[in-house]
Order: sequence, then C-alpha cells, then structure tokens
Amino acid sequence: MRSDSLNSLARLIGGKWRVLLVLLLLGGQVGAEETSNLSLNGFGTLGAVRTTSRDVEFVRDLSQPRGAVDRWDAKVDSILGLQANWRLNPELEAVVQAVSRYRYDKTYTPEISWAYLKYDPTPQLSLRAGRLGTEFFMMADSRQVGYSYLPVRPPGDFFWYLPFYSINGADASLTLPVGDNVVRGKVYYGISEGKIPYGQWQWKLDGSAMVGGYLDYQLGAWLVRASYANIRFNHNMPIVDLLTARSLPTPIIRQVDDYLAAANTRSHYYSLGAIYDSGPWQLQLMLNKITQGSEIFESSSAGYVLAGYRIGQVTPYVGFSWIRSEKRGPMNNPVLDPLLDVIKAESHANQNTTILGARWDFARNLALKAQWDGIRGEPASIFPFREEQDAWRGKMDVFSISMDFVF
Amino acid sequence: MRKHFIRSLLLACCLLSLSVAEATAELVVVVNARNGVAVMTRNEVINIFFGRYRQFFNGVEAQPVDLVDGHPDRGHFYYGLVGKDVSDVNAYWSRQVFSGRAQAPPRVNTSEEVLKWVSSHPGGIGFVELGKADARVRVVYELNP
Repeated sequence: MRSDSLNSLARLIGGKWRVLLVLLLLGGQVGAEETSNLSLNGFGTLGAVRTTSRDVEFVRDLSQPRGAVDRWDAKVDSILGLQANWRLNPELEAVVQAVSRYRYDKTYTPEISWAYLKYDPTPQLSLRAGRLGTEFFMMADSRQVGYSYLPVRPPGDFFWYLPFYSINGADASLTLPVGDNVVRGKVYYGISEGKIPYGQWQWKLDGSAMVGGYLDYQLGAWLVRASYANIRFNHNMPIVDLLTARSLPTPIIRQVDDYLAAANTRSHYYSLGAIYDSGPWQLQLMLNKITQGSEIFESSSAGYVLAGYRIGQVTPYVGFSWIRSEKRGPMNNPVLDPLLDVIKAESHANQNTTILGARWDFARNLALKAQWDGIRGEPASIFPFREEQDAWRGKMDVFSISMDFVF
Repeated sequence: MRKHFIRSLLLACCLLSLSVAEATAELVVVVNARNGVAVMTRNEVINIFFGRYRQFFNGVEAQPVDLVDGHPDRGHFYYGLVGKDVSDVNAYWSRQVFSGRAQAPPRVNTSEEVLKWVSSHPGGIGFVELGKADARVRVVYELNP
C-alpha cells in the first residue's frame, strides 16, 4: 500500500528522482532491520525572497541565470537534496547525493552533486575519490544545506562569485591531536563540472583542473582555517557568441576573444576563517582574496563577520559583508578599448551588505528564518547581479523568508 | 513596560538554564571497562562525540553511541558538555553528513542500550546517569554543571 502510493508519486515526479524515491523507500524498509548499513537522508529549503529594486535581479550565486526583483520569488533559495550512505565495511563507505535547484539552464534538473567512495584506514586518515563537493572556502561544501547554518543563505559578498560546486577527483585528509586540540589538513585535486550562465549563453567549466588544500586548527570552541586553491580554466567565456550576436566583424571578435581569454589562465583563491561556537554564541569571521589570471575578471578581496546568540528556540543574528574588486587597466587599443570596457565592467563589484535576521528552531529538524540584507554599493557594482539596468544605483534591500529541513 | 518584559524574559531564560544545568549533574561519560582509559578531559569527550577526532590517547579507536532525540538525557548531555541545544547539535551533524566529512554516532533508545553498546564494543563510549553505570563500564568523565 505504502510502496504503491510512493511509486505513483515517483512516476509523477519522474526522472532521476524516481530512482532516489525508490532508494528512499528501500532505505525505509532496510532501516527497519537492525543491521542496516544503508542510510538515507535529505535536506531542503523552501525560500521566498524579494528586493526593493527592478534595476537588477538578485541571485544566490552566479550559477543562477535569473533572480528576484521586487516581487516574492521562490526560485533563488529553494532546494531539495537526497543522500544515500552505504557502509560496506568499517573503513569503506559509498555516498551519493543528488540535488535539485534552480540552475544555469533555468530548470530544476536534478544533478548528482556527490558520488564517491570514502576509505578511512585509520582514525587519522581519510581518503575519498569520485565526485566531490568543493571546499576551497570554509563551509563552501555545505552551502546548499540551509539547516546547517544560521542565515538564510551564505553571505553573498563572500560566496556569490563561487559557482563551482563539484569536482571529479580525489582528496586526502589527515587529522592529528595536539594535546586535546585537533589539527586537520586536507588536499584535493579534481576536474570541475558544470556551466555558468553568461547573458543568454553559458560558460563551460568542464575540464577545468582544480587543486587546493587547507589547514584547520580546532582549539576548544574555536576553529581557525587557512586555505588555498587554484583553478585552471579550460574554456573561454562565450565572448564569441556575444559578439557574433551583435554582428561584429570576425577579426575584431577574434582579437577580443584572445585578449579576454579565460582558457588556460589560472585563478587563485586564498582565505582565512575563524569560527567560535560555544553555548548560545556563534561567531564567524572570514576573509578571502581572489587573484584572477584572465583579463575578463577583476581580482577581488571580500569578507564577512556574523554573530548569533540563541535565546530559547530563537537565534537572532547580525552580520556585515563586503567585496572590493580592482578595475583592470586598458589594452591601449583605441579601437577595441571602448568595447572591452563594456565587457570588463561586467565583473566589477564594490559593495557592503548589512545582514539582520533570526532563525527559529520551532520543531525537530525544522527551522524558519527571516532576514533583511541591506546592499549598499557603487552603481558600477554589477558583477553579483543579473539583468542590470542603467538606472541601477548600487543600493537595495533584500527580504527573505525560508524554511529549512533535514530528514 | 517593554523593558520589564525583556527583564522577565531574561529571568525566565536564566531559571530555565539553571534547572537544565542541575539535571546534568548526574550524567557521566562511560567507556568499555577493558578499554584502559581511566580519565578524559572535556575537549577529548567533545572531539569524540562531535567526530573531530575519534581515537583514545592509548590508540583505541573510539566508537561513540548517542541517544535518540526524545530521550531527556540527550539534551542534558549536550547542554552540559558544550552549552548547546539539541537542534544546534543536529544542525552541526547535517553540515558534517551532507558534506561527507563524518557520520553522526548511531543512536539508541535507552540507557540500557547505551551500556550494552559500550560493553560490546572495545572502543565504545556513551553517556548515562551516574547511578546506572555498572561494572561493565568505567566512568571517565563527569559532567559538571
């Protein structure tokens, strides 16, 4: 009876979700036995967001082609994820995670975000291989799990520019005790996946090699991390498509495309983070610096502070984030510079955001959040947004409500 | 008027946390009696229960066991250990599990099952009320309020 109704639900939803629902059902049955090695979990967010502007569209990060304006919009923050963990033996575990969210092609097509084998030969050493989430900034690999953090979404000024979600590769982490503190180091290498929307076109990330690592120091309630990563892009931005659509002569298109080439350039990501998590307090401080190899992107530095204090079931929080990017010099080509300026201006960001909100843990594994973001920046700060208009003055307020759940 | 309300709210919170703190006085962390570990620090207990580092100082791999959400000892234990609400602990585990870093300790329904787990696993470690800790296990840490 139960399986019939679940199956018809699965048929309704179709596609990859059907497989996952059947897995979930199977998990429910297997879970009833005591010696279960298969666990199924899920997470999700139902979110609505609106802004006070029609001059830009607000997105969660640059993987989204369209965003929210001054009407309530559910696509920016809503997400559903399912994960299956299968323990083959005490050292070996297989994990698959699928996620459906509003993505580069304006659909909610589910993607396999994680699929790896994890081998822990000792309590100190952990090795993983397969498709892995990228963790080049602290907490970047759990950005999609709203229930796991305090605000509605990770502070945008810090995370907007990071639409990289997974790599096909491997990582190794080593954990060592220092007295009763813990030091943890991790290195990873992999080939990126995915696409980033650019106008009506898409920038392909596939084939881009990413390498990085970090060092954590856990000192009681403090966790401090220094991290570094770099990515070597495999494709140019779709400049040729953009300029061809504007019927520019082929030699000009070729020259511009060469000058703004992203392929075979390297971007470097440095970050420092500290988290304090004790009793009712949660504090976070993060700083990053991104050095871009291609003329089409501006190098930037960004950061945020976030503080929350739990009172009963409610945790009010306040935060402040910022991003500054450095304008690049001209090519010194009087014919091409006006055109290049327009394209290069797309990657400029200079703004601050004040965050004020509250999380209410009103039931087990459920949280309601309400948040205000006050974005105050230069009119030229358009990189974080979509569909910017000439009237954009760099300032708007963003109101968000969300319900996060895990199961 | 408003100030008065906030003050009484704060007072209520204080009283609430006091009563929770009192109830944690009896909880102890126990390990397998044959483990060889005699005493642990608060940080070592936190490291094991939060999956930061799961090994005893003598090299034995730690196999922690937790209680289900509905068991009152669970809330008291985490409140006494790190001052955190159960939902904060669950949020922490959702971050670990969905980023593939670590699995939460398995959960059992009763203190008797905790004792069974601890005594049947060489690296077993769990928490029970002091009065329930018997000869199968050894008390290595007492939760002070």
